Amino acid sequence: MHHSPMHPPAMAVLVIVAVVAAAFVVTCLMTLARGGQPRNLPKWAWAIIICVFIPWGGVAFLAFGRTGRHGMQPDALAPVPPALAPVPAAVAVPVAASQAAPTLVTRTPASPVAIELDRLTKRFGPVTAVDGLSVTISPGKVTGFLGPNGAGKTTTMRLILGLDIPTSGAALVGGRRYQEIVRPLHQVGSLLDATAVHGGRSAWFHLLALARSNGMGPGRVREVLELTGLEAVARRRAGEFSLGMKQRLGIAAALLADPAVLMLDEPVNGLDAEGVRWIRQLLTRLAAQGRTVLVSSHLMSEMAMVADHLVIIGRGRLLADIPTAEFVSGARRDVLVKSPRGDELAGLLMANGATVRPDGADGLAVTGLDAPGIGDLALAHGIAIHELVPRHASLEDAYLDLTSESTDYHAKLLPAGRVAVP
Amino acid sequence: MTAPGITDTGRPRPSLPALALDVVAFEWTKLRSVRSNRLTILISAMVTLGLTTVIAESFASVPAGRHLPFSPLVASFLGFAEYTVLPVTVLSVLVFTSEYASGLIRTTFAAVPRRRAVLAAKAGVTGLAALIVGELLAFACFLLTQAILSGRNRGLSLAQPGVPGAVAAVGLALAACAVVGVAAGAVIRHTAGAIAAAISVVYLLAALCLLLGSPWDIRLGRFTMPFAAYQLASLHQQAGLLSPALSLLVLLGWPALALLAAGIAVTRRDA
Repeated sequence: MHHSPMHPPAMAVLVIVAVVAAAFVVTCLMTLARGGQPRNLPKWAWAIIICVFIPWGGVAFLAFGRTGRHGMQPDALAPVPPALAPVPAAVAVPVAASQAAPTLVTRTPASPVAIELDRLTKRFGPVTAVDGLSVTISPGKVTGFLGPNGAGKTTTMRLILGLDIPTSGAALVGGRRYQEIVRPLHQVGSLLDATAVHGGRSAWFHLLALARSNGMGPGRVREVLELTGLEAVARRRAGEFSLGMKQRLGIAAALLADPAVLMLDEPVNGLDAEGVRWIRQLLTRLAAQGRTVLVSSHLMSEMAMVADHLVIIGRGRLLADIPTAEFVSGARRDVLVKSPRGDELAGLLMANGATVRPDGADGLAVTGLDAPGIGDLALAHGIAIHELVPRHASLEDAYLDLTSESTDYHAKLLPAGRVAVP
Repeated sequence: MTAPGITDTGRPRPSLPALALDVVAFEWTKLRSVRSNRLTILISAMVTLGLTTVIAESFASVPAGRHLPFSPLVASFLGFAEYTVLPVTVLSVLVFTSEYASGLIRTTFAAVPRRRAVLAAKAGVTGLAALIVGELLAFACFLLTQAILSGRNRGLSLAQPGVPGAVAAVGLALAACAVVGVAAGAVIRHTAGAIAAAISVVYLLAALCLLLGSPWDIRLGRFTMPFAAYQLASLHQQAGLLSPALSLLVLLGWPALALLAAGIAVTRRDA
């Protein structure tokens, strides 16, 4: 949890300085107005004006005039919704928020809205980030958008949002280009980069500005703050938020207008286990309401938990567009066999049409025969078997197999030991 | 798939003024909710008034009969020209560049995909805020200076013909600088570069012209913002400068040109 960089005593000093300065200015002005003779001002007053006011004005300008990242006390002037009581500085995001929250998403979208990509292509100079991508993201399910780093996931999402202009092809939401949608937040809620907030603006005002931009008021802001468990920290400047809190703020912004389409880029980055589970439940619920939910990730394990459908890309090209269950069942299977007469058994298995490769020091990885078949065969030839384990490759393995040729940045894989995960 | 007048989100299609109001409310909420903006304006106002007092005092101390470098009217705004114009221009540049630096600009353009509407709202809201601050401070500087000078029988009064207009023009000049700043931020996107560009238009072009020497300093210089503002803040036609009407055109022409460039740039590039 981050704390405000300026503490109450410092605030008090600042207020006193401001009051003294204001009193000084008023005194000077009154002296001038009464006497009409500026030289009636005592010499020390001139000294203060020249030595303090002017240089410190410059310094203060340099300090505050930039982005407000090195800010001061919490935003005392900001109006706050009446429901929000003043909060002590260090407030954890309430864990309980995850239980009550998703019921707040009430409205089922008027009509289901799909995202359609049609030969979508984007080149940045010589680099083709998205290469003829054609796929439809359907409503009513969570679609996992997977690919290694640099595969073009974020670029695709930016193309859908009209932020980047496609080199060729089109991205349509509900049959039209994003730029043509009136008050688009009601149609598409998105989270591309949770850290993209003004560090000097409170969560409340960040959301209020976005609400105003699409014809909404503070009521909806209160709802999404409650939904994401951020009410307690709504008045605090977003620059003080941890990454997890920024993710929640980004999700609050995406849900602000109760959109039919939800598009989140790596939403679980920076979230703790509780937050990850919260997101998973939220996404599932939103999809069940008939919304289109597109969630990108570069981690298969993350997606396997939540996605109903997978769209996998590599180097900007479509590698798979497949229901998660089908992807799982299609994953490579083999059987691990250990025997004191391993070489003999291997020859026997190969003679019966299986493919055998060594696995570890004394193991055999067998494909083409199932475990009972191998056991029966070994028994028939009197070969003892010490271990017989049917395995299927983890989703991670299947995913790596699929994307390994298209990974931009290769790390050396250890040759052995793709361990099966049940 | 949708009936006319109904958006595809099933809500009635809002009118164009309502949509314009959305964007204005969006930008206004963002502008007012950053405390550093308010602080910077407050501090620069205080410093401006302080410096104006110093200048007026030194002005009042010149013995009667000696030539004065500026008219008493122009002398009111020497502090304003630096300590108000500079910070307000920089804040205006940040209206765009801070969003580009943090990535917030993508959220903005996702909320309002009509980028020129965003540009217009940012320029309008920032320009109007600068106009209000500028007018308040310009009149404050004027009254402060004249209160000091009136003791030396050099003071002017607001009742004199041409004076209110001249003071108001100074406030307008601040709004023009603010719009130049917003547009520079939209075109250049990086804070340092955009500040350099905006300051060039607001100050440096005039300074460069002065280096040329007579007669080209005035011939070229009169088309820059400081010279135009100088003419507008004078009660009489200054030798070699454009007429007040043309000076006003110059003063408003720079922000107009800058906005035009920004309007072209903002839709052409990826956010």
